[in-house]
Amino acid sequence: MLKRVAIGLAACAVLLTAAPAPAHHAFSSEFDVEKPLQLQGVVTVMEWVNPHSWIHIDVKNPQGTLNWMVEGGSPNQLLRLGFTKNALLPGMEIVVSGYQAKDGTNKAVGRDLTFADGRKLFLSESAAGVQK
Amino acid sequence: MIGRWLVAMGLVAAASAPPAWTPPRTPDGRPDLQGFWTNATITPLERPRELGAKEYYTEEEAAEYRKKALVPLSTAERGGTEAHYEFTQFGLDRSQAPIAFSMRTSMIVGPEGRVPPLTQEAQQRNAERAARNKGHEFDGPENRTIQERCIVWGNEGPPMLPPGYNSFLQIVQTPASVAIMQEMIHDVRIIPLDGRPHAPANVRRWLGDSRGRWEGDTLVVDTTNFTDQTNFRGSRENLHVVERFTRVDDGTIRYQFTVDDPTTWAKAWSGELPLVKDKGPIYEYACHEGNYGLANNLRGARAKEKADEAKTGKKDPK
Repeated sequence: MLKRVAIGLAACAVLLTAAPAPAHHAFSSEFDVEKPLQLQGVVTVMEWVNPHSWIHIDVKNPQGTLNWMVEGGSPNQLLRLGFTKNALLPGMEIVVSGYQAKDGTNKAVGRDLTFADGRKLFLSESAAGVQK
Repeated sequence: MIGRWLVAMGLVAAASAPPAWTPPRTPDGRPDLQGFWTNATITPLERPRELGAKEYYTEEEAAEYRKKALVPLSTAERGGTEAHYEFTQFGLDRSQAPIAFSMRTSMIVGPEGRVPPLTQEAQQRNAERAARNKGHEFDGPENRTIQERCIVWGNEGPPMLPPGYNSFLQIVQTPASVAIMQEMIHDVRIIPLDGRPHAPANVRRWLGDSRGRWEGDTLVVDTTNFTDQTNFRGSRENLHVVERFTRVDDGTIRYQFTVDDPTTWAKAWSGELPLVKDKGPIYEYACHEGNYGLANNLRGARAKEKADEAKTGKKDPK
């Protein structure tokens, strides 16, 4: 599915070093590495906003249902890769591995996001990781 | 799907002879710079020290580096923290974006290939500023960086450097002015071409005050009047930037810049990178409106203060 088109005119230079540091804020002051968590829940809202997307999920536990907000990356590149607002709809079940916010509320950063069956949320086998 | 975005263009070697190529022109006869462009790159601003004065790769070296650089990098490999999403999962890894390649080993030109050391004055000035905020980083929004507050991001410049993802800009041109919009983080630079002088010295702007002129087929933009919160590699309100935009082929603008600030560096320094044509569009990047992160950071700090108070019985003096 992934078609590799047009790489390369003549000269292409590359450097591995000095990768840009594009995070726009200090993750380690927003989220707590001492509070790792895994959440499985049903999407209620996907906020396609910048600088970070936020996925809201209902997580059931013995005490009832809690709504969590999960932070992810800027949605603009997802749109460029062909994803649409229908890519993640209310009712879809997802699993989030991440870290809870330092303010102790039901917010987390979604370090890894998958569907309940293990598929990556936004990227299939044909996308990231296989492009050479 | 993704492959269509992997555009590899633009050998922009300053040393090469001018190509026998005529740029498309606007009705008033100027080179037409208009359209969507990307400055995404895998070329760093500064040359790795081990490369010394080597300014260009050979084709073999370039191919090898490109291969390595386009392997998707995990967050840890990018130098991120654990409490961070994986860039590859959101299409933000540079292996998933169109890249403007060049043969250069660094954006900075010349044998040194690196930003000159800060002057003593600049080191002292910046240390004093950092000391003033030390211990108060989370007191309120004003203590946070202008980037975290979604006011202006470092990539916007000028000089305009690649932000790492969403590295797109749009140029619109009239006989009287040129407008440049960068996707990150949405600001538009409107650059008059009518010869008017810079704004008075007391007028300070986040992106500086730009004035443009044509030198042959090159658009030259001179920018001054930055704010005291500007921080370009340690330079602040005295930053002076000259940018040069030259169309070198159908798909490429050569973007060159020279920065100087005698209060920060002993000498001026220059860099260049290609802007490669993109089909667009630019997407909205409404940074402030969705900036939950700023409030989360401040709430996190308040929560820590409360916890510390409960533990020690002492109220935080701030």
